[in-house]
Amino acid sequence: MSVNRNNVRERRAAKWAADLMESVRAVLAVRPEADPDNVRHTLILLQQPPLERLRKSLTRGRALAQRK
Amino acid sequence: MAAPSLNESELHFLRALLRRKVRFMVVGLSAAALQGAPVVTQDVDLWFEDLNDPRIRQALREVGAAYVAPSILNPPLFAGGGVELFDIVLTLHGLGTFAEELSNCIEIPVGRQKLKVLGVERILASKRAANRAKDRLVIPVLEDSLSARQVAGSRDRRKSDASRVRKTTRRKSPATKPAS
Repeated sequence: MSVNRNNVRERRAAKWAADLMESVRAVLAVRPEADPDNVRHTLILLQQPPLERLRKSLTRGRALAQRK
Repeated sequence: MAAPSLNESELHFLRALLRRKVRFMVVGLSAAALQGAPVVTQDVDLWFEDLNDPRIRQALREVGAAYVAPSILNPPLFAGGGVELFDIVLTLHGLGTFAEELSNCIEIPVGRQKLKVLGVERILASKRAANRAKDRLVIPVLEDSLSARQVAGSRDRRKSDASRVRKTTRRKSPATKPAS
């Protein structure tokens, strides 16, 4: 049962990753000088609601400021 | 220090401004973050058309905050009520007037209201014009993010067009069958 559930989860994750990388390649085909990490992170963030994107940005910004 | 993300009082303040129809927009890196740019920021920059608009004071009062006028020691600030996270922007390098830039905004829902957020193209224009060391660091990230958004957007549109065509074809297919 749990093995099946794990398989399903892994298959979904692999499909998500494959779709994501296809999108990254499509962007790089149009703009080869783009940094693949910037492109990938943008595409991941676009899958989330806007306020969640802002929350992540602020959380990291504050953490960096505290480390300084 | 303010909370690391938009908390209830910050959202309350934004809603209070929107409910009163105060003319403002989110600008800077927080605006870029709202649109998916992988950037980090410590504050949310708000550009008001008119800082003397009494409705801003009313919204501040509603959340228990106040406006601190600029002096030699400080820029204009919001204080108290948990809204210190918001920075007041008076001018933006390389951009048009507030009214001109309003047409370059996208709208993001906050509750029942829509928040105006300056588009990434215009944020890039202001960063290029300001050209400080910290702006130069973020310009390539914004450029890459903008390309990703544009390509992803056009791919999504193509996919949804294709799915619409498939649905239309399926709906039409019984009618195209020859009558038996």
